[in-house]
Formats: sequence, C-alpha cells, structure tokens
Amino acid sequence: MPAEFGGRLTRADLLVKVLRPVFRRDLALGFGSGITSLFATSAVWAAGSTAQRRATADVLLGGGRASIVHHELAHANAILRDEFAATPLAGGGFSLNGRKDVIINAARAQAYVVYARTDRARSPLSHSVLLLDPAELTAAGGLARLPRVPTAGMRGSLFSGLQFTDCEVPEGSLVGRVGEGVALALRTYQVNRCVISATAVAAAGTVLHSAVRAATTGRSRPVARRFHKPLAGVFADLLACDSMATVALRALSLLPDRTHVLAAAVKYVVPDLLRESLEELAAVLGSRGYQHGTPEYGALDKLSRDLPVAGLGHAGTAACQAVIVPQLRALAERAWFKEEEPPSELLRSGAGLPHLDYRLLGIADGGDFLAASLVGSAARLAEVRGVGGQLAVLADLAEAFVTELRALREQCRAIPQGAAALADPAWCVLSDRYALVLAAAAVLGTWEGQDGAEPFLASPAWAVLALTRIGGRLGIPVPELPDDCLGQVLEELVRRYRAGRSCDLDATELAQ
Amino acid sequence: MTWHNSPLLSVPVHAAGPGGPWAEVAAGMTRGGNACVYTTWQEWPAEPGSATALRILLGRDWARYRDTADATTRHRFLASRLAIRYTAAAALGCGPAELDLSYKPGGRPYLRGFDQIDLSLTHTDDLIAVGISRNGRIGVDTEPADRRLSFELLQDQVCTAAERAELAALGERGQNAGMLRLWTLKEAYTKALGLGLRMGFAEFGFATATGGETGLLTPDGSPATHGEWAFGTYPVAGRYLLSVACHDAGLDTSRDSSVTTMLDEGFVGMVSALLDPALPGPA
Repeated sequence: MPAEFGGRLTRADLLVKVLRPVFRRDLALGFGSGITSLFATSAVWAAGSTAQRRATADVLLGGGRASIVHHELAHANAILRDEFAATPLAGGGFSLNGRKDVIINAARAQAYVVYARTDRARSPLSHSVLLLDPAELTAAGGLARLPRVPTAGMRGSLFSGLQFTDCEVPEGSLVGRVGEGVALALRTYQVNRCVISATAVAAAGTVLHSAVRAATTGRSRPVARRFHKPLAGVFADLLACDSMATVALRALSLLPDRTHVLAAAVKYVVPDLLRESLEELAAVLGSRGYQHGTPEYGALDKLSRDLPVAGLGHAGTAACQAVIVPQLRALAERAWFKEEEPPSELLRSGAGLPHLDYRLLGIADGGDFLAASLVGSAARLAEVRGVGGQLAVLADLAEAFVTELRALREQCRAIPQGAAALADPAWCVLSDRYALVLAAAAVLGTWEGQDGAEPFLASPAWAVLALTRIGGRLGIPVPELPDDCLGQVLEELVRRYRAGRSCDLDATELAQ
Repeated sequence: MTWHNSPLLSVPVHAAGPGGPWAEVAAGMTRGGNACVYTTWQEWPAEPGSATALRILLGRDWARYRDTADATTRHRFLASRLAIRYTAAAALGCGPAELDLSYKPGGRPYLRGFDQIDLSLTHTDDLIAVGISRNGRIGVDTEPADRRLSFELLQDQVCTAAERAELAALGERGQNAGMLRLWTLKEAYTKALGLGLRMGFAEFGFATATGGETGLLTPDGSPATHGEWAFGTYPVAGRYLLSVACHDAGLDTSRDSSVTTMLDEGFVGMVSALLDPALPGPA
C-alpha cells in the first residue's frame, strides 16, 4: 500500500526486492497473502475518492485483505471467466447480479474491488470499478459465498466463488467514473504485470539453485559437460527476464505515463521464458525433479504447477497482445528510430527514482523509450567493436536486433488503420517479435547501466549469452557464441550457488 | 495388445492430405482440448500451387525446403510442415499460410504469437503425426510397430529398475512390445517437455503391467505426478505405434482458440481510440 496513504510502498522495483524472499519459497504464498491485495486496491489508489482510500487503508493496515474480481476477458480461463453486471438504480447506487466461481481470497477478503459490467454494449466504456465491503453486503443480503475451488497450481491459495442476486450497493462504491473500468484495468495492470514477472523470476531462481545442487552434489569433478548449456543458458535467461522486468518496474516510477506497452511486453515474454527454463532444468534434475515436496528438489514440480496460474496462461498472454497489437502501427510511424533515449536514471544501477504514483499511470502513449535505448546501445557498441572478443560479438548482436526492429517498422507500417483489421493473425506474430526485441533492448540497457561494482554483470558474457538465446527465439542470424561465454556464466552461477546468492541482477544473499 | 489409454486424449484421426477431416480435429479440440492427426507423406501434394504460393505457405521453412536436394526428402519435409499447419489452422480458425511456424532453441516447433495451442510433430518411415493441445504441453512419438528394441541391450538406458523388473518377467514377445511402448511414451513425454533425448529415459517410468491407466512414475515405481498428465499409445495405419503425452496445466482454458477472437475487444478498443481519436471510443 502506497506510503502516501499510510503504507510503506514507495517504488514498484523496491517492492519486488522486498517480496522476492517470499516468492523464492512459495509463489502461492506471495500471491495469496501479499500482492493480491495490492493488485485489488490499485484502482483505489489510482482513481478512488479520499473516503475510499481511507476505508481501503484501514482494511489493509488492520491486517485485512482485498480481493480483485476481474471482468471477463477474451479467451477467458477459469480465473478470468464470468463477470458481474451492475445496473444503476433510480435512487443512486447499483444492483449487482451474476456469479463467478474462481476468485482468489474471495472467502477471506475484507474488501472486494469488482470490475463490473455497467453497459451491455461491447465498448471500451462497458465496465466500472466498485469497491465493496463484504460484511455490509452480507448483512444487507444478496451476496452468497460459494465453496472453495481446488486448483492444480497455487494449491495453497484460496480460490472460491461469489454470487450476487439483486444485491444493492451504494453510490459511494463507484471508483472513478462510470465506464472507467477498462481504462483503470489497463492503467493498473501494468504494475501487476511487472510485479508478477519479476517475482516469478525469483521463484525460478530457486529451481535453478536446485538444478545446480543436482549437478554438483556428491561430485568432486566439475559440472558434467552436458549440463553447461542448460544451466548457463537458464541463468542468462533469468538475468534477461530480470533486466526486462526491472527496467519496466523502474519506468513505472520514472516514466509512469510511458510504460504501458513495455509492461505488456514484459508479461508476454517473461512467463514464457521461465516456463521453458523450468523444462530445460528438468533435464538437469532428472529423477530428482520428481522428489516432490523436498526442500532440495521440490521447487521444480511446485513452480511448474504454480507458474501457469500466476501468469494466467494464454488468456494472460492474449490480454497483453491486446495492448501491444493496436499500438504497433503508431510505434512504427511515430516512435521507432525517432524517439529520444530515456533518462539515464532508468537504467543506471542504483540511481534514485521518484515514488510510484498510481494516479500518474498512463496508457497507450504511442511512444517507446526502450526501442530508442536499443538503437543508442547499438550505436555506442559499434564504436568499441574494434576491441574485439566478446565486446565485438555484443556489438554484432545489438546490430542484429536493430536490424530486426527496422524490419518490424516496415511491416508494422503496413498495418491498416482501425481496430477491425487487428483480427489478422499476422499482427499477433509481429507483437511476439517486437516483445522479444524489447527484451534484448533491456539486456543491453542493463549491461550498459552497470557501474562496475558487480564485475560479472559489467562483463559482456551474460549479455552475449542472453542475447544469443533471444536472437535464436526470434530466428534472426546471430554470431557464433564465443568459446568462453558459457564457462564464465556457469562459473558465476556455481559461485552464487555456493555462496547462497540469488540468480538475478541483485545477487542477494539468500535466507537459508 | 490393448493399452490403458487416458480417456482425456482424443483418439488419433487419419488425415488424407489437405482435405482433412479438419472439422473432426476442431471438434476434438473443443471437446477435450487436444487432438492428434496422423497421415503419410504420399497423401500430400509434392508441389501444391505455384512456387510463390508455396513460399508463403512454408514461411521460414521455405529455405530448408529449397535447399533440400533429394526430391523424396523434400516431399516428406513439405508434407510434415503442411500437416502441422493444417492441423493447427483447424484449431485456430485460420488459413494454414497465416501461421508463423517457428522453433524454440531446443527444437520444439511452435506458432509464434499464438500460445493458445501447443504442438508436437513426429515421423518415421512413411508416417507423420501431429499432436495439438490447448491445455498444456503435448508430445507425440511414433515408431514402426515391428521395430525391435532389444530389452537386453537397451534396458539400462531406457528402463527404470521397476520397469526392468516387470519386463524381465515377460517372454521375448512381451518384452519387445513393452519396450516399444515404453520408448514411444518416453519420447512423447520428453518431447512434451521440449527436451527429447536430453532427458535421461531411465529417470522416469511408466507402469508396464496392463492394469490401470498409464501414468508417470518415479524410478522406484511411485506416482510422479498429480494426475495432470494424460498418456496414450495407439496402433495406427496398420503398422505403426503412436504415443501421446499431454499435460493439463489446470487452467480450464477457453474452448474458443480462434485467432480472430483472442484480442480482448475492450482493451483493443480503448488503446485504439486513445491512439486515434477519430475512432469511436472514450476520447
């Protein structure tokens, strides 16, 4: 909860640092007892009245929880399926109706933030946000709590349903304006998207640690050769995911009205990369991966189940594509190769930032500061290409992604104007490529932003490996991986494992 | 021999070339969330349409097709890619040329931009099989039914201790059949994980007795999953064995996997209207 209203939240990137120890242990615990309340109340911090903020602050400061009740999105799965309808009443307020079966913490929240349909027409103004007090509604009648629903992932979280039947809610429940629901979802989800991705990186780090444990325990010789690529590769992928998420988390503070498309790209790329990381590590863990519930090797099984629930699967991905696809044409025409690079504080490790202010979060600004950063990185690297070695390879990689961005610009300019045309499958393909280019841009920006305090992060090996792998996903030509890259990244990984340090940009000392 | 296949799997369907039956594939996807198609490469045209049309149809696989000198190899490659495209297009409600068939670093094929379905490809001799799922990862593997996998030679690499013990008690014929089934199941499972042979086959197992549904086991024979995997082994086309491994991430995904409905109208409408005030919307 934001410091301004009595909580301790100042910046989203710092929030993640505080939350990561919990997520390293248990993603479901982090969701159920932590970030769900923030996700739910974010609309109140963004657009609520003074009274609503005070009431919400009282709930959270009193140790209570808030639950978010999503509206139904395209291709909805169980968590995003169904929604509530709110009909305006003659004397003010709304009458709520509907049933939704899978809501996290529905049975134990002291506040519901409901994205309810207030207009039957399918339009961007169809939904409104309501802040509800379950105790009041239960007393007044019209609210029924439905039984707990078991889920395959995040089994420790409590999902259950709610049913409203002609349930009258007061006028003061409305957060923001009537019809502002979709806009508020888009504005606040960008924080959630970055936080989910960044905390999931921490959870995946635990699996990587267990894989290093499997590859080194009871072995006096170095790690078996066949495990070099999956271990170092996954470590590089985690650093790439963390780079992307961290840039976006920092941007939420520094450039709150310009982070929308990046936040969607983060959530599009990171869960997918992490899912593949887990699969790659399954080969290293072998039969140990089936030692469910053990502290040494149980993380793979648990996170493999929890991650799809946290990321919401295809429906979660498609919700991000729905943000990216309609911006592609504008980005190609107005932003790429034209926009200025972002302020240096964005990428410089340790640089101070303003507080996160939910009221300032903007959407669809049509800009792209990270693409500008990519072009800048490539230009600076080109100047030092002559140094040779890994630096020259890094310069070539940067150039390859700039070439890809140029190709994207040509193809995105050809997208016809108007939303009706966006159903063409080709644009979803472009959004995938674009999101991967942004991941590459974040890796380069993060590498450039190192102050040298962490020699491993300041040296190019991890960035070269991460970019080579992203390039492989894009199917673009990439230079051959220098011989010493895998070894250097693996050495750092084993060092961090032995020293009990996390597999992200922070190399945090782990709670053992 | 009958295997105890999971009822959650759609039974493999024969597709006689571009004609399908794709409606049956789409129905399987709607019903159970997965579908499997088998075909032979001779059932697909060697050169469908003009060179330009073929180039568009094959996308990033075009270069490999063009650079393959041997006509039979080229035809087989083309047929396998078309089989994937037609099968996926049936689930996604689009044309086979509209998809960007790409490959993950480990070699797993996927459809760029469309994570509503996962897919897997396998081929041996004349047979090609494609599995698709909207519930999670899927892997398929096929072998000629008469292929001999020597239990004596391969048991240490392929079998867990529990599997070795069960197979050792069988006669030679039972061992052969059991080994082939295990091999295809293990291939299907590791392909579903995107690992193929990088995952040691003796690191996990399946029950070889015919009692109960096929399930994943740890090397010591205890259950390795919580029921989220479905397995099946089917005799197809008279002389092949086809195994399917399908994961369910438990999200209860939408039955609609069409590319035309996946972008949320509210989100798209809002973003489009903000970028172009001429459009109807909040501006």
